[in-house]
Amino acid sequence: MEVEKRLLGNVIKVSIGIILLRCFYLQVIRGGYYHMLSENNCIRTVETGTPRGIIYDRNKRVLSKDTPSLQLVFIPYDIESAEKEAKLLSSIIEVDVPATLKKLKGRYSNPFERIILKKKLTKEEVSLVEENADRLPGIFVQEGLVREYILGQSTAHVLGYTGEVNEEQILKYKEKGYKAGDVIGQDGIEKLYDFYLRGISGGIQVEVDARGHHRKELGRKQSLPGNNLVMTIDQTIQEIANEELGSRHGSVVVMDPRNGQILALVSKPAFDTENLHEYFTRGGHPFLNRAIKGQYSPGSVFKIITAISALETANIAEYDRVECTGSITVADRVFNCWKEDGHGWVDINLALPFSCNVFFGTIGMKTGVTKMVEMARMFELGKATGIDLPGEKPGSLPDRSTTDALNLSIGQGPILITPIQLVSLISTVANGGNIWKPYLVKEILTPAGEKVKEFAPSIRKTVFVSSETMEIVRKGLENVMVFGTGAGSRVAGVAIAGKTGTVQRAHRELELDTQGFFVCYAPADDPKIAMVVFLDRASGPIATRIACNIVKKILVPKEEEPEPSEAPEKTEEEAANVEIL
Amino acid sequence: MLRYFKRMATDSPLVLTTFIIIFIGLLLLFSASRGMASKEGIFFKQLLWVLFGLGLMYMVKNIDYRDVKKFAPLLYIAILACLVLVLIIGKGAGATRWIRMGGFNFQPSEFAKLAVIIALSAFLAEKNAAKVHILAASLMIIGIPFIFILKQPDLGTAFIFIILFFAITHQAGAKKSHLFFLVMAGLVMSPVFWLVMKGYQKDRILTFINPMRDPLGRGYNLIQSIITIGSGGIAGKGYLRGTQTKLAFLPEYHTDFIFCVLAEEFGFIGVLVLLILYYFFFRAILDIIYSTQDRFGRLMGAGILSMFISHVFINTAMTMGLFPVVGIPLPFISYGGSSLMVSLVSVMLLVNIRDNSLMF
Repeated sequence: MEVEKRLLGNVIKVSIGIILLRCFYLQVIRGGYYHMLSENNCIRTVETGTPRGIIYDRNKRVLSKDTPSLQLVFIPYDIESAEKEAKLLSSIIEVDVPATLKKLKGRYSNPFERIILKKKLTKEEVSLVEENADRLPGIFVQEGLVREYILGQSTAHVLGYTGEVNEEQILKYKEKGYKAGDVIGQDGIEKLYDFYLRGISGGIQVEVDARGHHRKELGRKQSLPGNNLVMTIDQTIQEIANEELGSRHGSVVVMDPRNGQILALVSKPAFDTENLHEYFTRGGHPFLNRAIKGQYSPGSVFKIITAISALETANIAEYDRVECTGSITVADRVFNCWKEDGHGWVDINLALPFSCNVFFGTIGMKTGVTKMVEMARMFELGKATGIDLPGEKPGSLPDRSTTDALNLSIGQGPILITPIQLVSLISTVANGGNIWKPYLVKEILTPAGEKVKEFAPSIRKTVFVSSETMEIVRKGLENVMVFGTGAGSRVAGVAIAGKTGTVQRAHRELELDTQGFFVCYAPADDPKIAMVVFLDRASGPIATRIACNIVKKILVPKEEEPEPSEAPEKTEEEAANVEIL
Repeated sequence: MLRYFKRMATDSPLVLTTFIIIFIGLLLLFSASRGMASKEGIFFKQLLWVLFGLGLMYMVKNIDYRDVKKFAPLLYIAILACLVLVLIIGKGAGATRWIRMGGFNFQPSEFAKLAVIIALSAFLAEKNAAKVHILAASLMIIGIPFIFILKQPDLGTAFIFIILFFAITHQAGAKKSHLFFLVMAGLVMSPVFWLVMKGYQKDRILTFINPMRDPLGRGYNLIQSIITIGSGGIAGKGYLRGTQTKLAFLPEYHTDFIFCVLAEEFGFIGVLVLLILYYFFFRAILDIIYSTQDRFGRLMGAGILSMFISHVFINTAMTMGLFPVVGIPLPFISYGGSSLMVSLVSVMLLVNIRDNSLMF
């Protein structure tokens, strides 16, 4: 027993002895040296940085990459007077004084870490800063990297933008290794795939003397560049969509109906990643990605669902006719068709191309709200598509208590759908029933080109609608462009199937304001692209024209633009040769 | 209640040293939290924990430690459930160690140490650890929570589990040759583990052993920690006058690196005083262990003692670069409710063992 006790007693003595000896060595024998180190704060780290991954389009053309630039940085510990230096800086170069002051005064876990004050300095700015170097202790110019977006505002909503981590993000992502001054994706693909795009920054740890000269290198960490992304976006189509949308507010999404790959996604107004702060205060919601976050009433586009649900529930047959006199009266309420003198006797084959409100109102009342909403839900409307972008909105579907069949049948009232959901709907009609999950990133590659991850197309759901119904709807959509509401925008050489939609919104000042939609796929008999065009403060026909111009530029080769009389078969062969598909 | 603690402190050197160490801890936390906007609240939070802990001690003062034995299996299963839960929903820096409950974080691995001590002591109370199958069963009892903790990964706590196993089984009469065999088996097995590990896992272990592999992160922290301790010199820079700690070179000054605050502000003299206090604390436990005739009490006491010694040693050694940096708190001093509660309950168990031993 005593032996045991003595053994444990010795363990105690030895443990405490070791600690005391080590402390004696560090504090008493080497105390002076460490005191000197702590006085002069001689251990510094210098980050060497690392480039963020490159973002490519589907054909490996660069959409975004890091390029070298000169930047203004500071070392928090060496700043003598934040106010004075911020004031001096603002007098020689263009800086945001409150933001600069906030940065200079901030508390950092490593006060010797260089923090960026301003990126992309011009040559004049560099020389001005260097002239005033002695009055700007702790602030200097160094080489760094700046993110460049080749297509500029065109891809702003897809790619997003990068920025320094904010305090909230530091707390949230601390365990993932983010610290003050690090760059992080703040929106879009840059945000969602930040983990892959950001590399590991290298750096050295050095002992410096009182004047800041390096005396001894204590350690070195190799940097690792970020991984590259290959997107499903086609740079050419993205540019076409961007040009055609022009300065209008709205959005265009082009998708491959055979696999859900997004070929182009544009939303306007957009922002310029180099002058972000200017856009934060600008009107028109430039940071709202209308394609996935804008929720709108679909208007006449919803007639596709009305038609399918009426046909599938056998509430009408293909040749059942309704007489349109320009309006119908239901319980004292007058419901107008857009064509004042009416369409006469029409069946579904005529009503869909003409977008006859009276016809759809009548069959909608027969089918009922519940069945129509059921069909909309089956096509996954009113639900986020799961596209790989942050912040997608789900929209919402009404029910019997919030809307009536008449309103719903023509897509008016409390039904909200996002443009990306509409492109998913039209794709499903085009391919006969597969609801593909829309996606933007195809592959993630290491800098050396090895595959890290590959994203295969995935089907969210297969919709079972009889082939007769689908055939009727597809024929109707094709006729929209032959003799219906879209005929004025016909494109020679490509058969397009589509549906227009114009929604009136009563404004506060009782002015009528409209939103225009056009959904389509082409070529009609072998769909290779599906598209939605949404316009704020414009009408369906304008959206139709924009969509048709885009289809034309994608599917009809420029030089060999055929005469309108030429046989369509030939151009379709040519279309199939276009490399993007 | 106040009178009770006064009597306790004068009666028992164990409780007296505990109170003094807790008081020193609060002084250091006050210093560490000063001037740091993000850490302003921690001193008062810890003060609340101390008061709560004293209340807890008062509440359990009449519970006979031998009753704890009956609940040992239940306690053991409960803690296993918590450890599994932490793997599923846990939170923490780089590893999953906490479960968030209401407004505070609950760290099951702290409680697991005491639960395993109780479970193993209860199991061996009527059994002879010299028998191989008993030793194997003991290994199972500690092995299951050990694997969960390794999975978190909390290498520090896992290491302490190994110490606890050897301390308790040795006390329970395990043969030296058996224990030696286990040590050798562990050493032989380790290269096998090394071979099946993936590259990044190896990298993490290597950085863990040699922080200078990561000179901007852990390596930087360690160098700053050593400079902080060394710069305190013989007499220190004075209370609240630490420069290193105030510049916040280390992120964890209030938890795992609190020893640096003491060493910087009170110098070698301060370190000496604290270590002497810990020495008396350990000796007091040792006296209790060998004053009782109850085998369960003695095994539990030995487990608790080795838990405290290894905490103090590993925590201080790692801040001085003598041991890999692991998340092991300094008992009664580091910020954190879970660790303080476990330590105080342990002290109460020891007091109870002593009180009951006097009746023999």
